[in-house]
Amino acid sequence: MLKHIEIYLRSFFDKNRHHFVDGGKYKKLASIFEAVETIFFIPAIRTKNAPFVRDGLDLKRFMSIVLLALVPPLVFGIYNTGYHSLQAGGGNLTFFNVFLNGLMTVLPLIVVSYAVGFFWEILFSVIRKHPISEGFLVTGLLFPMTLPPTVPLWQVAVGISFGVVIGKEVFGGTGRNIFNPALTGRAFLFFAYPAKMSGGSVWVAIADTASSVVNAVTGATPLAMTALAPSFKNIETMLSSAGYTFLTLFVGNYPGSVGGTSALCCFLGAIILIVTGVASYRIIIGGVAGLLISSFLLSLFPSVSMNPWADINPLYHLVAGGFAFGIVYMATDPVSAPGTDRSKWVYGFCIGMLTVLIRVFNPAYPEGVMMAILFMNLFAPLFDFIAIRMRVSRRIPNV
Amino acid sequence: MREFVSVAMKTVRVKKGWRFKINGTPSPEIENRLEVKHVAATPSKIPFIKPRLLARSGDQVKIGSPLFEDKKNPGIKFLSPGSGKVVAVNYGPRRVIEEIIIALDADESCETFETVDAKTLSRLDRKTLILKLMAGGVWPFIRQLPYREIANPELKPASILVSLDSADPFQPSPEVCYNNQRSFFDMGVQALRKLAEHVNIIQSAKNRSIDWLNQLVTHQVLGDYPANDPGVVLYHTRQSPADNHAWYINGQDLLLIGEFLSTGLYPIQRVISFSDGTIENSKHIKTRLGVKLNELYSSHENMDHLRWIVGGVLSGYTSHADGFLGMYETSVMVIEEAQKSELFGFARPGSDKLSNSRTVLSALSSAPLKVNSDMHGEERPCINCGYCAKICPVDILPQFTYKSIYADEIEEALAHGLLDCVECGLCSFVCPSKIELSELLIDAKHMYRREINQGA
Repeated sequence: MLKHIEIYLRSFFDKNRHHFVDGGKYKKLASIFEAVETIFFIPAIRTKNAPFVRDGLDLKRFMSIVLLALVPPLVFGIYNTGYHSLQAGGGNLTFFNVFLNGLMTVLPLIVVSYAVGFFWEILFSVIRKHPISEGFLVTGLLFPMTLPPTVPLWQVAVGISFGVVIGKEVFGGTGRNIFNPALTGRAFLFFAYPAKMSGGSVWVAIADTASSVVNAVTGATPLAMTALAPSFKNIETMLSSAGYTFLTLFVGNYPGSVGGTSALCCFLGAIILIVTGVASYRIIIGGVAGLLISSFLLSLFPSVSMNPWADINPLYHLVAGGFAFGIVYMATDPVSAPGTDRSKWVYGFCIGMLTVLIRVFNPAYPEGVMMAILFMNLFAPLFDFIAIRMRVSRRIPNV
Repeated sequence: MREFVSVAMKTVRVKKGWRFKINGTPSPEIENRLEVKHVAATPSKIPFIKPRLLARSGDQVKIGSPLFEDKKNPGIKFLSPGSGKVVAVNYGPRRVIEEIIIALDADESCETFETVDAKTLSRLDRKTLILKLMAGGVWPFIRQLPYREIANPELKPASILVSLDSADPFQPSPEVCYNNQRSFFDMGVQALRKLAEHVNIIQSAKNRSIDWLNQLVTHQVLGDYPANDPGVVLYHTRQSPADNHAWYINGQDLLLIGEFLSTGLYPIQRVISFSDGTIENSKHIKTRLGVKLNELYSSHENMDHLRWIVGGVLSGYTSHADGFLGMYETSVMVIEEAQKSELFGFARPGSDKLSNSRTVLSALSSAPLKVNSDMHGEERPCINCGYCAKICPVDILPQFTYKSIYADEIEEALAHGLLDCVECGLCSFVCPSKIELSELLIDAKHMYRREINQGA
């Protein structure tokens, strides 16, 4: 079976290649042809320089591992979206129905994100005559997973366009961007269309079968709730009285962004990424440590207890909101993270710390992890610079 | 009279490196393949020399007759590894002399040189010894860090490093090479002691099977490829910048120097390891310097789809069935040429894929795998994954260093340790973006060498 598909595809590509080479009709679209072909086939390229044997890992495989690690939060996110939508709108809560309902909401976001994003990728690679890079496979999925399920599709298109073009391509494309493109897109939407990206009414999508329009009902996220009601002294009590126990927050069964609610699923993803060595455990562990340590330290100051997030059990910081998703999938993007081991620890730690500081000192804006990561993206080159200078100064020079 | 030197052996631990997981490690069995038809000198494989021919096509030469010399340093002569007729001088691109081929005659005659015994050697002064080695064509076996060119006879190095073996299991094992060679080895070491104050003898901690040799070892190395490389050992043992100026020599080449001094004949034998990925054919072969590769191995099948690699799959060079063994090389390997694209290659679990990463199933086992010459992917931009820095045995940060080279920031690259690069090839090997890091670093080193030589 597989053999037949292989033979068929092989002959299909070989037959049509001549259109895309020099002198062919579609020479300009060579990078698209190449991109499509390499989705199916890893081409046989012979080594020219030593070493003559090369590692079996290529960028496609690298990015596929990230996609694999995104499966748990994605599947859970689809279910969660469907569940809350049906619960609010009233409907049959069987697993299949819930999942299907969630899929109807989430799939269009992903399709639009990929379609629009690939348009820009292809446009830039055709003009620059570069091959299309696999990195977008991850960006295009990460981006919709950070959005509320009610976000209008045109905003998804605008957001991913901003993320890809301004976040990545203007810097020269994959490998040269300063900021994480998916987060850049999200930050753009967040500030350009705050009404659709924050507050208490965007997190639950209800499919109105009559008009097929996605509406929103009130269903505040735990983080938004604490921001709206800062007079509560104890957030734990308040959250659990609203049905958000620690366990609920950990599992992620509450209204929120499509993929970012479940700390448990992000933990599973983190295990995949760390075991395969695709993401840096230094960043993830550093981030968790930064979050826990700084929230613990803050809880020691009595003066800040006016802030609802100041003396919460530090573990709540870990499971609430998008921190887990951000530190596992966004902060570990190797391009926008620092490249030296020590600076990865510092980078992760600072992201955790900043997330807590934003949550505690700016209760009106409880979701701090996005800004924390983008801010630290900006610092990554500086961290690397310092780390390299330290390494160089320890080296016995050889010139 | 043998000088007794009490040696305090040091242990050098090299944490980074790569443990070979490739099929067909040569067995310790040794086959004699000394009767060959052709040998050749391969000037293009000797770095940084400008060869001037001293023999022409059609000339009759003896073992030890000069074939060519270095224009830049005419004292450095390269002698014929065989006696017979020069049948061809092959040129490559830009008139590079690739090989000087000699068809051997039946009764090979030799040029003879003055023999030296241990006693006379101890009385020789350094300069005379150097001239002797240069005239005898064995000087080029001594090389110089960091550029790995032939040692400059006018300089005095801080130390000479002798590497007896390699952590690459496809290089000859010391128990095969040095068995019964003690007198030549001692002679060689004694000669080196004339050239430099410190002679450091490096052996892997795993290869401790020959007693007399173990007693001579000054540095035992623990670590994976390329831990035994003299550059790596120097990097991990040096105390000051002055130590950087070191010479090195392969243990087998040291035997040749010892043999030359003791017998007065230009040495022509070489133990190589051969592998074609199978257990039956992978073994050690005692053969001639400059042997023609297809005299080592021939298969009944068509050999067009095979890649001949001389000097190791990670740092050697590609040759072909009609190519010849380079003067420094001690291994020949035959692997499959890449020829078949792989359907859904990125999504396969990879139980048969060779990878240093843990993204393939084969990472769970240490079983050796079949390899071919495939890049296993296309070139992509660097994503700063840091795999190269994680494996670099001399702690360069190739992902940053290559960018400073692109930006012409050579000073920055040097500060990163560009000249410490041991040219092991591991950074290129692991790169998921398939960037030719190792080639870029080596080219930058060579360019820097050219620049400082022009300035001087």
